[in-house]
Amino acid sequence: MAYVIASPRLGTVGDVFEPADGINVEALLAGGFIKSTIKTTKSDKPIKDTNEE
Amino acid sequence: MATSTYLSNPTITINAVDLTDQCNSAVLTRVIEALESTSFGKTARVYVGGLENSTLTVSLMNSFVASETYATLSALVGTATTVTLKPTSAATSATNPISTLTGCYLETLPIVNGQLGALDVIDLVFTGGVYSVATS
Repeated sequence: MAYVIASPRLGTVGDVFEPADGINVEALLAGGFIKSTIKTTKSDKPIKDTNEE
Repeated sequence: MATSTYLSNPTITINAVDLTDQCNSAVLTRVIEALESTSFGKTARVYVGGLENSTLTVSLMNSFVASETYATLSALVGTATTVTLKPTSAATSATNPISTLTGCYLETLPIVNGQLGALDVIDLVFTGGVYSVATS
């Protein structure tokens, strides 16, 4: 999993963030300090039920 | 006479987040638990070193704005993290070593410490973890 810095408190915004030993990555994500570089894919459209009675 | 002095102006990171501008007190204490090994026939208590249980105590001005104190700490309570402390903001060197507690635990997080006419300042204690120091 790769991350980029989203807050200047962590470093230069936009730089790749490589967590050091012991860093709580989930807390950084929750606080908005880093962002994951993996793009989320759109979920499939819900299937419309055409079987209306 | 003091041979060297420095202005107390440390830099601190909590979970890699630089909170120096929100911090006004930081005390890092190395603690090696004392295990008593006094035996019959001794005339004074003696001890041997046990497990390390160092602590970092900090006072932070609270802020609920994005990327500030609360955002840094809210998901850390009840977990382990890494904190660093350096005597001054100058480059890390033999005379300005950076101390690190890796895997220290944050047990409590005061949410609001409100007093009339005063800033909201919270005190935190990070306990345990592995202590290390680097000079470069």
